[in-house]
Amino acid sequence: MKEILTIDLELCTGCRNCELACSVAHTQSFNPKRSRIQILKDEVRNLIVPMVCLQCEKPLCQEACPNGAIVENEHGILFVKEEICIGCMNCVTACIYGGIAIDPQNKKAVKCDLCNGDPACVKACDYGAISVASIKPEGLHQRRKAVSPAFQTLGIQIEEGQE
Amino acid sequence: MTFPYKGYAGHYLEVDLTKGVVQKKEMEKEWARLYLGGSGVSSKILWERTTAETDPLSPDNVVVVGTGPLTGAMFSPSGRMMFAARGPLTGVWAESHVGGFMGPEIKYAGFDFVIMSGRSKKPVYLFLRDGKAELLDASHLWGQETDTTTKMIREDHKDPSIETAVIGPAGENQVLYSGIIVDFYRAAGRAGLGAVLGSKNMKGIAASGSLGLEAYDMEKYLEANAQEMEKLKDPLWKDSLASLRKYGTTDLVAIINEIGRLPTKNHWTGFYEDADDIGPEIIAEKYRIAQEACHGCAVGCKYIIRVKGGNYPTEPIGGPEYETLMAFGSNCMNNDIESIFHMGKRCDLLGLDTISCGKTISFAMELYEKGIWTKEDTDGLDLTWGNVEAQVELVEKIAKREGVGKILSNGVRKAAEQIGGDAWKYAIHVKGLEASGQDPRAHQSIGLTYATNVRGADHLRSISCIEELGYPKIAGDRFSPEKADAILEIMSPKHKGEVVWDMEDLYALVDSAVICKYATMWPPVFYYDTFVNVIPALTGMEEWGNPKYVRLAGQRISHLRRAFNHRLGVTRKDENLPPRLLSEPMPTGPSKGGLPDLDEMLDEYYEFRGCDRDTGYPKEAKLKELQLDFVVDELKPKGLTR
Ligand code: SF4
Ligand code: SF4
Ligand code: SF4
Repeated sequence: MKEILTIDLELCTGCRNCELACSVAHTQSFNPKRSRIQILKDEVRNLIVPMVCLQCEKPLCQEACPNGAIVENEHGILFVKEEICIGCMNCVTACIYGGIAIDPQNKKAVKCDLCNGDPACVKACDYGAISVASIKPEGLHQRRKAVSPAFQTLGIQIEEGQE
Repeated sequence: MTFPYKGYAGHYLEVDLTKGVVQKKEMEKEWARLYLGGSGVSSKILWERTTAETDPLSPDNVVVVGTGPLTGAMFSPSGRMMFAARGPLTGVWAESHVGGFMGPEIKYAGFDFVIMSGRSKKPVYLFLRDGKAELLDASHLWGQETDTTTKMIREDHKDPSIETAVIGPAGENQVLYSGIIVDFYRAAGRAGLGAVLGSKNMKGIAASGSLGLEAYDMEKYLEANAQEMEKLKDPLWKDSLASLRKYGTTDLVAIINEIGRLPTKNHWTGFYEDADDIGPEIIAEKYRIAQEACHGCAVGCKYIIRVKGGNYPTEPIGGPEYETLMAFGSNCMNNDIESIFHMGKRCDLLGLDTISCGKTISFAMELYEKGIWTKEDTDGLDLTWGNVEAQVELVEKIAKREGVGKILSNGVRKAAEQIGGDAWKYAIHVKGLEASGQDPRAHQSIGLTYATNVRGADHLRSISCIEELGYPKIAGDRFSPEKADAILEIMSPKHKGEVVWDMEDLYALVDSAVICKYATMWPPVFYYDTFVNVIPALTGMEEWGNPKYVRLAGQRISHLRRAFNHRLGVTRKDENLPPRLLSEPMPTGPSKGGLPDLDEMLDEYYEFRGCDRDTGYPKEAKLKELQLDFVVDELKPKGLTR
């Protein structure tokens, strides 16, 4: 069963513990800038916007990769094959959700791989803001509900019907 | 030899502002081993680099910007950092801590400490990114309020992820209680460190980093971490945590008024009839729009408010803490909550400590009531209790050092000296630091905390909430079941010397780690064993796995900070309380009639601390036990040891 992360903006406090947990899980270090989930903040407008890969059905990132570095793992989740990625940033430009980024240290693309089914960020969020939803229609609805207000405030339109 | 420990960034910076030179150096192994970080390491640095003659606002003074091994290392709550120097308000040891996101960012940028000395010819700020540091021109930022400063720095670098710690106009004008503002609305407010930066033409620090931190044994550390979090999640603390998440510290207005300890009318009494007007419920219901938390924090006491309409509307800002509600509210007999929000916001933007600012204003109001001051002294302002417009006006005048603000910007001790006559009677301070929001006439041990706190009258170096909020099991476990009853007796001086001594060393470690007081102070979950549990796994410093070693480290830090003050002339007679809190019985409220037995508590405290009762000076043997021989070498010839 394919799954996705959903984040409840009402519950998120912007504490960045999810970033820490993700960086520990993937880089064995405390380094929020290398996290696959990113909490964007605008203190002046009181905005806290968590950004993470939405595990799209038609992944723009994969389409954009000239090297075929973005592939499915054994759980059917797209991840970036570090050895193949050349850090060209095409995927970053292609993803309109900010779900994929360049790791500042190894300069390769990184995206959420759902931690092989045991998401570190979900466990690390003490405010219960992150949950895992199935890719069934209800889950998709939850995903859209969570991201809509954020993207609207940021001036990004969600394309209807894409789901 | 390279610095061997993990958890630290591994480097520190020497910034000579006079020469405009920044040097990157490897961390000192002994700093970590003996003093952990933060407050402890700062005490070592300031002991070495300042003298009894260092003028706090001269180029000779040294500012230490510090983090600790836990800062940014996913230990909740560890988003903290600190500043230390010889303080301009008090003339003694000054340190101030702050949460938010800047502490971790400094470490991710590659540094554990920054040591600043000298004075720059023109305004500058320090920019840190990924192991590099440079002094940049701050001419365009000078004069700007703190939020604008941060926005401008982010724009200059086209990087919204930059975090900052900056001073506002108050710091530039060297108001003696100006603070350093982090992430828009978090403040290293106390003790005037903003003025020290201002005197150096230093607008602040900005950082962005992607270097990350390692653990010595990640698996073990995460496990230790989880164990500590488990303790915090014990059902016992459910209510405390729920309260902190819903109300932040504002809940204290109600809790503390109930025990008759809420400073009211310039500390005249401890009970405020209109407390509900400035209390937790009205804020939560009417103004609060969101919850926030500092970096990696599971407590989450921060909250955001917005005020629509009225005299003081505001876009979303960080809501005030208990201390701000007390300082501008009850203590000035002001029950207009929106005006308190406004003054709290102005203090953040101007870079002022809300506690000292509010308390200096209540001091002025009392002078006015007593006829010591008239409109001639106040630029025509009517300083009647609760006059909101006058209060608001004073905040601006103080930050600008304009008119009556000039004398008030010096804090109550210096202002009272300048005014003369009976003014001193209304100056509520210890060692020159305006008292924070407690009262020893309703809570004995806080009197001892105020008296012995190295930075002056506030609670954060050793407050005990064991008896304040009533935790019998903790009292029994930490001290002894036989002592528990007397400890829980809030108005009994019995065993309070021991309790405050124990807390002071514990907080010394908290302030060196550097973590937030919440989860240690209230709810009282983390204790010495927490450090024994997490520090070795994170850092690889094996000695920190020994409970005795950890206790001694806490003592070492406490003693070194005390020694810093002894060198500057502090003795038992300075470890005192203002006359009002020492000998005017509490006039009204639930704690009516209360007075602290300070001498009895002090005697016991000195005994536990290893100090001489008559002078408060440390015993030579104690210092040597703590490997503070270099302190003996310097203090003994001056007759400052026993
Ligand atoms: S851990 Fe949870 S509350 Fe904290 S930033 Fe991440 S999603 Fe938000
Ligand atoms: S599920 Fe795993 S990879 Fe994805 S954001 Fe959370 S911690 Fe990172
Ligand atoms: S308890 Fe509050 S002040 Fe302390 S770290 Fe957490 S959010 Fe910040």
